[in-house]
Amino acid sequence: MEIKREEILHLAELSNFSLSEQEVESLGKDLQGILSYISQLDELDTSGVEPTYQVFEMENVWRADKVLPQEAAREELLALSKETEDNQIKVPKVL
Amino acid sequence: MGKYIATIGIECHVQLCTKTKLFSEVDNDARSKEPNSCVSPVDYALPGMLPRLNGEAVRLAILAGRAMNCEINACSRFDRKHYFYPDSPKGYQITQFYHQIIGAGYVELPSGTRIRIEHAHLEGDAGKLTHFGAYSLVDLNRVDTPLIEIVSMPDIHSAKEAHDYCKELWRLMCYAGVTYGDLYNGNMRFDVNTSLAPEGASELGTRTEVKNLNSFRSVERAVEYEIKRQTKVLEAGEKVIQQTLGWSDATGKTTPQRSKEVAADYRYMPEPDLPPLNLSSEYIEAESAKLPLMPKDYREKFGEIIAGDTLEILLDYPSLMEKLAEVALLGHGVAPLLANLFASVLLAEEKSAEYLNDLPSAEDLAALAEMNEKKELSSTATKEVFLRLFDPQMRERGTKQIAKELGLIQENDLGALEVIVDAVLAKPETAKAQEDFRAGSEKVLGFLVGQVMKESRGKANPSAVQEILRKKLS
Repeated sequence: MEIKREEILHLAELSNFSLSEQEVESLGKDLQGILSYISQLDELDTSGVEPTYQVFEMENVWRADKVLPQEAAREELLALSKETEDNQIKVPKVL
Repeated sequence: MGKYIATIGIECHVQLCTKTKLFSEVDNDARSKEPNSCVSPVDYALPGMLPRLNGEAVRLAILAGRAMNCEINACSRFDRKHYFYPDSPKGYQITQFYHQIIGAGYVELPSGTRIRIEHAHLEGDAGKLTHFGAYSLVDLNRVDTPLIEIVSMPDIHSAKEAHDYCKELWRLMCYAGVTYGDLYNGNMRFDVNTSLAPEGASELGTRTEVKNLNSFRSVERAVEYEIKRQTKVLEAGEKVIQQTLGWSDATGKTTPQRSKEVAADYRYMPEPDLPPLNLSSEYIEAESAKLPLMPKDYREKFGEIIAGDTLEILLDYPSLMEKLAEVALLGHGVAPLLANLFASVLLAEEKSAEYLNDLPSAEDLAALAEMNEKKELSSTATKEVFLRLFDPQMRERGTKQIAKELGLIQENDLGALEVIVDAVLAKPETAKAQEDFRAGSEKVLGFLVGQVMKESRGKANPSAVQEILRKKLS
């Protein structure tokens, strides 16, 4: 399967990435490599095999509904954002 | 031009009232809290942070499902729904796309119509954006508040039915105890899909989706508007455009929402950080059994003794129905009187919302109904004592004591009443009235009853007094 330039641009748009011409090319090559590598699996006949959702075979893992004190303070977390205002994260208006 | 038939399907998001969020041990009740104060590194989606499923949300999902007569699926899983928007730091929403916890069921409306439920699933809510001119502010308190999204089948055919479905759904969720049910604060939000097709057509028309309605009235008005608008479009020979619309209560109109030019492409994939659920039938049964009485149970229980319209009003208040059921266990036949007091006295009070959170004990209410039944309290006095029972300090004294202290207990002892009547008849100022009554004047009886009431300081039972007077003056 060959990955087209339009598909790279489409994925970039969905993820809100603005890519330079160079990045479009290099990411395209990388993705192509990954897909080719994975496509080796196509040689196997998987009809009748249950899809694998996870490999640990764990199930029903849940926790109690109890509020725990948080180590990270609001200020510390907000400080990770580029810009804040009134204790909120300030972002460019997005459609 | 033939008639058009409307077909409506509704998706409803219900915020669950768990103590913590769906995937982190952070306070889930952000009402009246500072922005970004109920947020953890998990909600911020910092690198390496992993979601940890809240077991209580699973339990509440079972109750919600059973409230809608739905199958509970033993096996369900979580998936990632990818989209880029600043209200979701992860870049995806964790939802159940492929295997949902709640399967098919139905909601029965008060009219008896059944609206089928396609499925319902667990997912995390998004954060809140406030838009300003060129920028937006993000509050992440709401990120991953547990939601169940309930998807109905397109079984609804009018604005009124859409309203009734949403209202019944709200009641079911409140009675099941899975949500605070505060619509004003967005605890339940409705997305309404409406399409029109000519009567008898075998295919549905093109649908529009009105998003994010948060009141039953808005749902009804938005559907009414869409039916009218689409009818006009079709009658003009044009085509309805499939699109997402917003609703404005102020203008009473739907308007197209600006949307991305790129078609929705969520790239769903299984969530690798959350192991699947595989619930035992014992667990599902044990949790289902905890479902409290539902509106239909109350309709069955009280339908014959409480007037239908009163019952439907009271059904909007789960705490009142619970109390009514509790009182009914104590005294036979006290429910109708209390239902009337709840509907016409309590709900008419200015402070009724406050009162609803702190109802008098079943014992006090049963005692009140009993005193009324024995005519120890007149209907006016019953109302007065009833309201005093909502005063926490007064309440401690109990119904009987309150009635006594207020001097409201009626004298029903015929012997004692006769003594009072005799004393009144012995007074010279009543002689003329007695004479007139014997001569056939009915209206003076009222005067004489009044005199006896005065003598008894208002405690005599007026109808008993009247009876004694008639006997004595005959």
